[in-house]
Amino acid sequence: MKVQVVRKVLEVNDRLADEIRETTASRNTVVINVMSSPGSGKTSLLERLIPRLLANDVKIGVIEGDITTTRDADRLAQLNIPVSQINTDVFGGDCHLGSEAIRPALDHFDLKKMDLIFIENVGNLVCPAEFDTGANFNAVVISTTEGEDKPLKYPLMFRTCQLALINKIDLLPYLEFDVEQLEQNIHTINPDIDIFQVSARTDEGLDVLAVRLLRMLS
Amino acid sequence: MHELTIAQNIITIVEEEIRKHSLTGSVTAVYFKAGRLNAIIPETLQFGFNAIKRESPRLSEAKLIVEEIPVRIRCEKCHTEKVIDEPIFFCDSCGSQRITMLSGQEMYIDNFEIE
Repeated sequence: MKVQVVRKVLEVNDRLADEIRETTASRNTVVINVMSSPGSGKTSLLERLIPRLLANDVKIGVIEGDITTTRDADRLAQLNIPVSQINTDVFGGDCHLGSEAIRPALDHFDLKKMDLIFIENVGNLVCPAEFDTGANFNAVVISTTEGEDKPLKYPLMFRTCQLALINKIDLLPYLEFDVEQLEQNIHTINPDIDIFQVSARTDEGLDVLAVRLLRMLS
Repeated sequence: MHELTIAQNIITIVEEEIRKHSLTGSVTAVYFKAGRLNAIIPETLQFGFNAIKRESPRLSEAKLIVEEIPVRIRCEKCHTEKVIDEPIFFCDSCGSQRITMLSGQEMYIDNFEIE
């Protein structure tokens, strides 16, 4: 006999992600999940962006995901903000953060006092896109040293995000990189994504990005 | 990716359904639908499923049948619908970028057959 099921294979993750959103919404906390390949500049961008938001009285926390080491968490803790490090090697070396990892990490914060929590996901352009972390917004960082065709090769990542941050624009004079082509490719995959050109080295574009994030918090 | 995790979840969900409906007998086939945007490789998923199904008494003889769902888009300007093979979310009839994805991102267990 045939038994109808029609159940999403990631339903457990998705249900927990929805619960996370309910919890954070009730405490007026916005969560942004930041993803990218390793080395695109997630941590450096957060190091330069967070002080701009702190200066606007935003209370910020970070959930830091890496397979191993606390190096990124240590860097961000220097900003005097609460940071919760998740090392996925205890989960078996997972290449992404799922909502089951985010849920306990949220207990590290007094959410009533938090306006914004960044999730810095594991460096990986493939897997994090598949797993809802319970965030309200997803952002992808892609740098000028990565190739204009990356959005076409990783469509799920770019379709899952509302923000795309093109980092390392300070290197443009030294590269044969067509940033307009990258923007076009991003919009081919996801016409609704908002693109920001930034540099974590020179701080270019960060004020504009900070303004956008402040609007997302209100 | 994560075909093994997905295979494990398939088995867990089918076992739950068996308990829920108090079914006896062995599962002969599980029908899984994978939207093409998720880039699941059916052979890899079947390989993973076949490797771990022996640990499940009710699923140890089951075949996993994977149906890939195409990415189907609709243009919100001229209402043309088409299936796309490349992830190009753009209407080649009228040039609009106001595209809705109708299918292609699903990942679900549709049904199973049990003796």
